[in-house]
Amino acid sequence: MDVWAAIRNRRSIRKFTDDPVEDKVLKNLVLEAGIWAPSGGNAQAWRFLVITDPKILHKVKLVSPGLLGTFTSVIVICQDLAHALEKGGELGVKTLSLMDTAMAAQNIMLAAYAVGLGTCPIASFHSEAIQKITGLPAHIHPQLLISVGFPGKNPPAPRRRPDVIWFNSYADKRDPLCR
Amino acid sequence: MQINETLKEQMFALVGYMLTSACNLVNETKSYGPLRLIDAASRLITILSENNIASPSLEKIQVQIEQGKYKVMEDDSQFSAFLNDLVLYTVSLMEN
Repeated sequence: MDVWAAIRNRRSIRKFTDDPVEDKVLKNLVLEAGIWAPSGGNAQAWRFLVITDPKILHKVKLVSPGLLGTFTSVIVICQDLAHALEKGGELGVKTLSLMDTAMAAQNIMLAAYAVGLGTCPIASFHSEAIQKITGLPAHIHPQLLISVGFPGKNPPAPRRRPDVIWFNSYADKRDPLCR
Repeated sequence: MQINETLKEQMFALVGYMLTSACNLVNETKSYGPLRLIDAASRLITILSENNIASPSLEKIQVQIEQGKYKVMEDDSQFSAFLNDLVLYTVSLMEN
């Protein structure tokens, strides 16, 4: 699939079919897309927990208000904060780890779209509760959930604003703080 | 009144959702507050319906909620208008 088409047509899916996604497909999303994202300082402190067990999914949903609708699998993108600190110091923990998570997530979501799957990134969850439910130790911090499944309904694309780019010098006449 | 185990589990899940929402909403997008409230209402109506204690009026309200709740992701003013319409729709269903 053309990368421009994937970028343009991927939507956040909140309605999935009941069909499960095969483990090998989920594994591919992580190992052939997620971990190929850029990583600040090449720390690669990301850790990926794939949840497909309905009982665990039920518990995860209970503490994740952002996980709406039905889904058969969730990828929890975590960061090993001890490793991030060792590799990148405070910047590594507070900033780079979040950026790495975001870039890995986008790779995963575009790759999922390319193989006919739908995804939705979720930040509305209780991280300590997720740690407790899934056995993640304190230094492995869940930063983003991605629900993965076969799309039941594609929502329309929210409006995009094209007037957000400048070359060489910034001058936003709409912004009162810039006048 | 005997309450079956399924209903207990469903109510536990709803309470968990509401409590986690309350905790997270302290630091979340402002418009997610109303979203979580109407979503909780919809989840409650589902539970009632699955336990044969819902009403046609509640199910009509749920249809409206499900049709409009994702406006929160698209346009703040449309979401706000939807919430207002939802209240007025509920009023129209009130029994005299």
